[in-house]
Amino acid sequence: MKQFRSMTYPYVAWIAVMIVVPMLLIVLYAFTESGNEVLTFRFTLENFARFVTDSVFLAVLWRSLVIAVITTVICVLLGYPIAYVIAQLGERANTILILLITMPTWVNMLVRTYAWMGILQDEGVLNTFLGFFGVGPVKMIHTSFAVILGMVYNFIPFMILQIHTSLDKLDKNLLNAAADLGADRLHTFLRVTLPLSLPGVISGITLVFLPAVSSFFIPKLLGGGQYVLVGNVIESQFLTSGDWNFGSAISMIMAIIIMVSMYFTRRIDAAANAGKE
Amino acid sequence: MRERKKSGVGGKLILALTLLFFYFPIFYIILFSFNDSRSLTRFSGFSLRWYEKMFADSTMMEAVLYTVLIAVLATAVSTVVGTITAIGLSKSNRVLSAIVERINDLPVMNPDIVTAISLLMFFSVLTVRKGFGTMLLAHIMFCIPYVMLSVTPKLRSLDPNLIEAAMDLGATTFQALTRVVVPQIRSGIVSGALIAFTMSFDDFVISYFATGNGVNNISILVYTMSKRVNPSINALSTIVILLITAALGVVNLVPVLREKHGDGVKPVNRKATAAVAGVLAAALIVTAVMGGTAKRRRERDAAEKYGSSVLKLYLPGEYLGENVISDFESQYGVSVIVENFDSNEMMYTKLQAGDSYDVLIPSDYMIERLIKGDYLQPLDKSLIPNLDNLADAVVGLDYDPDGTWSAPYFWGSVGLVYNHENVDPAVIEAEGWDILRNTDYAGRIYIYDSERDSFMMAFKALGYSMNTDDPAEIEAAYEWLRAMNNTMSPIYVTDEVIDNMMNGYQDIAVVYSGDATVILDENEDMSFFMPYEGTNIWCDAMVIPANAENPKLAHEFIKYMLSYEAAYDGSETVGYASPNAEVLEEMSTSEDLYAENEAYYPRSDGENDEMFHDNVTLQRELSKYWIRVKAEG
Repeated sequence: MKQFRSMTYPYVAWIAVMIVVPMLLIVLYAFTESGNEVLTFRFTLENFARFVTDSVFLAVLWRSLVIAVITTVICVLLGYPIAYVIAQLGERANTILILLITMPTWVNMLVRTYAWMGILQDEGVLNTFLGFFGVGPVKMIHTSFAVILGMVYNFIPFMILQIHTSLDKLDKNLLNAAADLGADRLHTFLRVTLPLSLPGVISGITLVFLPAVSSFFIPKLLGGGQYVLVGNVIESQFLTSGDWNFGSAISMIMAIIIMVSMYFTRRIDAAANAGKE
Repeated sequence: MRERKKSGVGGKLILALTLLFFYFPIFYIILFSFNDSRSLTRFSGFSLRWYEKMFADSTMMEAVLYTVLIAVLATAVSTVVGTITAIGLSKSNRVLSAIVERINDLPVMNPDIVTAISLLMFFSVLTVRKGFGTMLLAHIMFCIPYVMLSVTPKLRSLDPNLIEAAMDLGATTFQALTRVVVPQIRSGIVSGALIAFTMSFDDFVISYFATGNGVNNISILVYTMSKRVNPSINALSTIVILLITAALGVVNLVPVLREKHGDGVKPVNRKATAAVAGVLAAALIVTAVMGGTAKRRRERDAAEKYGSSVLKLYLPGEYLGENVISDFESQYGVSVIVENFDSNEMMYTKLQAGDSYDVLIPSDYMIERLIKGDYLQPLDKSLIPNLDNLADAVVGLDYDPDGTWSAPYFWGSVGLVYNHENVDPAVIEAEGWDILRNTDYAGRIYIYDSERDSFMMAFKALGYSMNTDDPAEIEAAYEWLRAMNNTMSPIYVTDEVIDNMMNGYQDIAVVYSGDATVILDENEDMSFFMPYEGTNIWCDAMVIPANAENPKLAHEFIKYMLSYEAAYDGSETVGYASPNAEVLEEMSTSEDLYAENEAYYPRSDGENDEMFHDNVTLQRELSKYWIRVKAEG
């Protein structure tokens, strides 16, 4: 199987140059202090200490993780049935629906988020609509609801795509076999369909959770700024206060936390796979 | 088949709700692209003005071209490379695939800004000329992991003996891959390609720092133009949606026609692939035509007089008079590459990385920093004779007392915009900044989300200098802001404050004078007040970087911008006070202009008013406190 391993060499070389080397520059910043010139080396752990010892930063990190987890859970709960329903349909309907779901993501994220801002305003369409029924105005903009809505709207297409991919090519004979062996629909789903689609769910979680943790435009615009998440803190270190060292340290801490949580997520995936074999 | 029919009604309902959710904001965007006013919440009448504006703007058309080109190329390359690598990894040992997976997670998981800065530094260490190539490399870099994330799960559910079986039956490795593996994992490849395309199409931060020399994509324009809510962005999005829909329609029609000719049923994913390819091709052709004509016209003009003379201008978004650039280009027969920044610090980051521009327009304190860091070259005043026409208020300012390095562009103040129907002018005049802590107005205020401006208000309200670095005074200002945050439930905004106050959503807002001018112009219930305790009087000025490639033309440009016509156009369009004495006089006295608009003219006699000085450590300190104010509440 040597020829297969050699297929990975070009990419291994590529990530070494394009991902690892640039990231080492960030690591270098995280462990040094003062000045923005790469050559001013002065080793320090101060940047990490500042973050870990400050309860405000820890609270911000915690809040970001909570929001990202909520977003991811909602995306799985909503995305799975949607992907499932689509996968049941005929070929042409499948193609069209998947494209219909992807299409909105080709409109710039900021533009879509601005549209939601208009929709969710106290005087916006949604409240006007609710007003016809004598409800409201309901406070929606600048709440957790708005932030999570914005994140789900932006990230759920990735979840649907991933789950749909894993349901799409599911061997129909397996389902028939299960039915022939006396399983009802619920059991067929729980014992056959769900385990087989788990890899898609896991990669969907990756594609939703990772960007959700670090997103900063959505909380800024829909949360009204008082919604500080870790992405906002990192952004402001680089773009307003110019403290690259601290910004690098925070993103390293975040990277480590996420790496660990992704490790466990993938363990679940691996365990599911092992169970199958 | 039995199963399919059963999921009928419930399934259809789910799909209908899903599509409603996905397309509601999209229809909203389309509707408001035809709005007569700038507002994003109130539809005031049908108009095509934003479409006219968009088609007249060659940078927008070029950005569409670059966006599509880069997205297509990045998707193609990353789909092929990602798929090959994923297949290779599935047959390699676990350690290698685990390492590659972890490294792949980095660009997916890191906030874009971290990846962007790392690439910025990387490219500047390599000293490559940034532009299309570097942006494409960056996009390929972050797209491949998405493709692999999609393909890998499909490979896992594949029978591991499939390839061996094929090869035992005499297939070469290549045949085994293309005939056996790829068809099995096609749906994973397609969804990976779709995600890669989306990511590339939508990316702002990484593109911004990886590009240069006027190569912009749609996102860069959107982010730097959103300074003033600009509905031509909605028009642009509508065009993109139409293009995609049209392409999809055509591609979906072709198989139907072919089927009628008895060609048989194609596998679903081949159609999806064809659909994607069709969308790309159609978009490419249309944008190439639109972008191409605009570009050719510009290049021909430039070539006629000055050969290949190009001026690179770097300034805040939405900061130019309507016709200034095109007039300058046609008068001098040159072409101007305009790049925008969102904050002075963003500009500084790019300069540090060695990017070269001919003219920059930063703020006072940043000019101080640039002078200290030897980033600028002195102006040759003999080439800019009209420096004599400057208004007194902008001559001899602290950051550059002799005007050695800079020529003023706009100046202004920071103040309170308030709705005089709901807020008594007498109260606001008596209380000044402290009205932001008057609980009568709780829940009705917008605070500008910037540590610099917020601490300025607090320092001034407490009677300190806004340049203080006395820890006790900083602590007191922090307490002032904290009390404000905890008792007033303020909403922190940036540029959306303009639209929101035009619509009168809240009663009081902290606003820059030029933005206030625009708000007052649109909504007559609004007034502007500069508290007597003092405020920030600031000045943005044109400077020439030391590494400018065309300093001669840069001087011409500065001279032109200071001329009556250009200064008039700029000040009238953007609403900030002009440095040109004659224009300033006319704008602030003519009834048709801004005579009635109290926001236009910044005061120059306020004894408590100050300018910011450059102090990096102080800024970091304030930034830390500001996060604390907002996050603790």
